[in-house]
Amino acid sequence: MNPILFLKPLTYLDPGSGSFIIQMLLAGLLGIAVAIRIYWKKIVKFFRKNKGGDLQEELDEMDEYGTGSGNQPDDGED
Amino acid sequence: MHDKQKVGASFRDPSGFLFYHEGKLYRQVNQEYRQHYDHLMSSGLYDALTANRLLVRHDEVETVPAPEPGRAYKIIQPEPVDFISYPYEWSFLQMRSAALTTLRLAREGLDHGMILKDASAYNLQFHRGSWQLIDTLSFEIYQEGQPWAAYKQFCQHFLAPLALMAYRDQRLNLMSRLFIDGVPLDIASKLLPFHSRLRLGLLTHIHLHARSQQRYADREVRPEDVKGKISHKALASLLDSLRNSIKNLSIKIGKTEWANYYRETNYSAAAFEQKQSVVARFLDQVSPDQVWDLGANTGAFSRLASKRGVFTVAFDVDPDAVSQNYIQVRKNHEEHLLPLVMDLTNPSPGLGWAHAERQALIDRGPTTMALALALIHHLAISNNVPLKKIAQFFTQISRYLVIEFVPKSDSQVQRLLRSREDIFPDYSVTGFEKAFAEEYEFLAKEPLKDSERILYLLQRRAS
Repeated sequence: MNPILFLKPLTYLDPGSGSFIIQMLLAGLLGIAVAIRIYWKKIVKFFRKNKGGDLQEELDEMDEYGTGSGNQPDDGED
Repeated sequence: MHDKQKVGASFRDPSGFLFYHEGKLYRQVNQEYRQHYDHLMSSGLYDALTANRLLVRHDEVETVPAPEPGRAYKIIQPEPVDFISYPYEWSFLQMRSAALTTLRLAREGLDHGMILKDASAYNLQFHRGSWQLIDTLSFEIYQEGQPWAAYKQFCQHFLAPLALMAYRDQRLNLMSRLFIDGVPLDIASKLLPFHSRLRLGLLTHIHLHARSQQRYADREVRPEDVKGKISHKALASLLDSLRNSIKNLSIKIGKTEWANYYRETNYSAAAFEQKQSVVARFLDQVSPDQVWDLGANTGAFSRLASKRGVFTVAFDVDPDAVSQNYIQVRKNHEEHLLPLVMDLTNPSPGLGWAHAERQALIDRGPTTMALALALIHHLAISNNVPLKKIAQFFTQISRYLVIEFVPKSDSQVQRLLRSREDIFPDYSVTGFEKAFAEEYEFLAKEPLKDSERILYLLQRRAS
């Protein structure tokens, strides 16, 4: 048997009952919301001219992908 | 056993702890964390994160004795971080970067079968030009269906303060100083304007989240109860939704008091150049290993040091100046400069359990060399601090000091005196030199052209 199944979670923080419950509620809803958002973005993109070179975007990319020599992972969006 | 060597902030997580041994920082990895540590190292997650500079590198060491040998699995030596900064010292953009990096770490973890078990802002540091996780023991093996235990912490440490800064005021980064485990969501929900509810991310992750916490405060929900309820895909969408919520937050930069300072000063281009060359000469004379620029504005003088490869912290009270400095650092991939928001008239105190979890500014020094350029009039006149006390404070934070004396005749000082009584008879070159001579040896004195300002290089007297 896979020994991982017997792993006790290492949670040392109190995750909070309310935080768990809302997470479960959101889990269902967010899947739908994200899907809508992706399509919405595509529609907006289609109608809007590409501004490009946004500084904020540039900074975001560095934070999200790091600044080292590693390959930039595909984030699967769009 | 060797509790004295343990780091004050490192006691909550049973996975391991930080300690000092012969002046160097190490981490004991406990047996409880063994499987998780092995997975981190063998799954490719450690390599992927360190290659992208999202996690500090470490070496496993055999020669250092474990402080708690009974529990120890391994001793690792993390790459040292030059200066530990805290969320209440970050500008909006810095905190936003740290938040996005945390979510990136969580997503990368999931791709390698691990999950972030905490999402503390204190686990992120701006190190060598990028935000990096400094807690190597933050990941645990992910089990399908498991909810994100750090969700609440992420919302409190990142989303709530960022939303408050974006919707209300940048200076609310100081809320993180009041609440060591992040801004409680009920408070954030009360302080945010009603229209913040129109953003789906803020509505759910802050407002409804706060409501849910209140409603289920007495209900016991154990991690086992929710196990299996949140699929891998749902967890990924949760992370994605948080990421969109953060990315939708922004502030305007500019239009505060000192952001245009360099354009409004009363020195000529020649004086500015001279000031730069004198400071550069002082830097070469002392060749410090670290510099703190106090009142750095957007970092024009800090860069004299950082461009020489000297690690430099650029403090300023104005969050806009810090943001502009930070933008330059990121755009130019500068690795030796750390801009921070700091009010020197009320610097960061020691916080948390026994005042030892977060260090006071003064305890993070002393540094080798401090720059106090065009600063003294703000401390002595705007804040009424006697010159002698200013000298004493500077000796506590640095061995060498480059200080610019700005006399009363200077228009910047006149501006400060315009609306108040001049109660500063000792504020003069003679008064300054007398007060500082008690604490310092004077190594150099350089009057600046076209102004009555003087630059000094001082060395703290051996006590």
